[in-house]
Amino acid sequence: MEFHNQVIDPEALPTLASVPLVSVSPRLAPCQAILQWMRWLLVTAVVLHFPVRDEALALWQPWVAAATGGVGLIAIALGWVEARRRAYGLREHDLIYRRGLLVRRTQVLPLVRLQHVETLSNPVERAFGLVRLACFTAGGRGADLVLEGLPAQRAEAVKQHLLARLGGVPPEPLRAEEAP
Amino acid sequence: MTGEDPSSSPDRFALADWQRLSPWAVGLMLVTASLSLVRQHLPLLLGAGAGLALVERVGWREVGGGAALLLLLGLLLSLLYFRRFRFRLDGDVLVIQKGLFEHREFKVAARHVQHIAVHQPLYLRPFDVVQWQVETLAGEASRIELPGIRRGLADALGKTLQGANSTDVMSAKPDREPEGLAQPTPGVRYALTPRGLVLHGLTSRSIYVIAAMLSPLVQPLERWLHDRLPHLDLLAWLPDSPLVAVGLGIAVVLLALATLSVLAAWWRFHGYVLRDEGERQVQVSGLFHRQEQVLSLSRLQVVEWVQTGLGRVLGRGYLVCHQFGALGGAAAESRRFLVPGVTLAEGEALIERLWPGTGKLPPLNRVSRVYRRVLWLRTLLGLGAGVAILVWLAGPMLLPPWAWGLVAACLAGLAAGAAQLRWQALGWAQQGETLHVRRGLWGQRTSVFPLSHVISLRLCESWLQRRRGVATLQLQVANGQLTLPFLEEPLARALADRLLASVESVTENSPEPGRQTAYAARR
Repeated sequence: MEFHNQVIDPEALPTLASVPLVSVSPRLAPCQAILQWMRWLLVTAVVLHFPVRDEALALWQPWVAAATGGVGLIAIALGWVEARRRAYGLREHDLIYRRGLLVRRTQVLPLVRLQHVETLSNPVERAFGLVRLACFTAGGRGADLVLEGLPAQRAEAVKQHLLARLGGVPPEPLRAEEAP
Repeated sequence: MTGEDPSSSPDRFALADWQRLSPWAVGLMLVTASLSLVRQHLPLLLGAGAGLALVERVGWREVGGGAALLLLLGLLLSLLYFRRFRFRLDGDVLVIQKGLFEHREFKVAARHVQHIAVHQPLYLRPFDVVQWQVETLAGEASRIELPGIRRGLADALGKTLQGANSTDVMSAKPDREPEGLAQPTPGVRYALTPRGLVLHGLTSRSIYVIAAMLSPLVQPLERWLHDRLPHLDLLAWLPDSPLVAVGLGIAVVLLALATLSVLAAWWRFHGYVLRDEGERQVQVSGLFHRQEQVLSLSRLQVVEWVQTGLGRVLGRGYLVCHQFGALGGAAAESRRFLVPGVTLAEGEALIERLWPGTGKLPPLNRVSRVYRRVLWLRTLLGLGAGVAILVWLAGPMLLPPWAWGLVAACLAGLAAGAAQLRWQALGWAQQGETLHVRRGLWGQRTSVFPLSHVISLRLCESWLQRRRGVATLQLQVANGQLTLPFLEEPLARALADRLLASVESVTENSPEPGRQTAYAARR
């Protein structure tokens, strides 16, 4: 048997930096804001109505709840800006997803590692016509990459493309209206 | 691989008919379930004293009657389970039908088999019955067990499934295997000596695990000694000097833990032998509970060279061979394919055997010095917060300003020392097509894996990192996540591109034989 160990020119490698990414749907920002608002409302309500026996501390309870609500508002605002900056890219051999505001994370999932794909949506996402695309690899306990903020039609197109790659079909460029 | 064609083996034709578990499996299931129940509830019953309180309240006879009833019920359920359990080979697919209240059928294709393990507890040796386990690429969550089959049947099943699997893999990757691996050279690759076994016991993590397991028993034991043996005046035995007494106490505890740890290693790894059968690496070990694990080289993803702190002092460590789904942290490590009690040279030789050209651990690169500064700041903040809490708990301290300055300087010095050590401990190196990543301050783990074995990667940049021109690279591999923090940004991006090119150019090493992916320049 012949053993190959070819030299690879690092300069000739495709680079992550040169990939043009496509923004996710602008509807993701309000959708995320509503979901976060519901979570923070619950937390604020718990803080406000938590039974405190000490009277001196109980006087401070509304202020603590107000501070919690304030933190929630800041988190929602930051989440809005962050959602507007999310982007993804689909290359011939991998899927790229960039997210994060203060900490920017770019995740790359090689398609050769893909095992199965799922689409998910909660009622709020469905109201905004959005779908999450969860990509799983071998041996993982959960999804390795979850692409949020895709319009339902585009999510289906991306899913079909990924499933075709899973089935061993050679890569085919998406149609213009489906292209991410 | 034994060299014979597994598809024409007579065992294969016998396995095509429905097979049943050995009748001894009923006893095995009862014993295994009882031991598991006792092990899970032992700390609760003994630690909290709830078990004794319950027995005293209910009465020994009633508790015995209840236990006998439970045993009878368990026996009936085991018999029913035994009746419903059957399996056979349908071509290259293992079909298992089982279920007590719900009938279930499992199918495991040979090409998806990643790991086979055979266990033989002491009480099953006279009957030549073993527990047989198989794992697919989905990892430990996918484990399927045949709880009690004849030894010959287990061997035939393992050889047929892994033989078919390796035949698939070999035919799928005709150009990748170096010549050394193409021709199987059966033989003992590594055998653990008694000295190595003792050193492994001392240097493994068992000592910490045993300490954690026994800690809930200390208080009940002390209470029992006090109540039942009041005539033993234990205080009179202690030396007069408190320092000597404390030192002696610590020494006795350490000696007891070390002894237990060596005994645990003896129990688990007695007679450890690693056999090289080409594509199959087989290890057998165990004093009473014999275990046999088969590792398929084509499924091997990451090899970890692990040294605990004491192991570094004594020059011993162990290798852990990870396949897909090897999550569960260090707690699940004992279930993995582990080569215990090896020296660095032996470890390098074994890794070289698994992946030719990758064995020698190269000098490692360090990450950016910015990381050391970040570590210093984090440690300083942690220490400062600790001191602040102590001062708050102890009440106001009237220290002169110079004393506070001295405390601050000491904290800064301590933090600087810790940050320097942690920065030095982290290292990485790319050696040809292999990546080495080392982490850990006192105990160290070095992961070795081909670049193409990365599952996915993530490049993270915080606002501070963007200002400093550094980035953190997180690699997802079969055994979890490896992080290379604070690499120079161009280097991090170049490494990410290189890793992706290696993964995406893989055709033959794909975890799913049959999936062919070609790499083409995308620019």
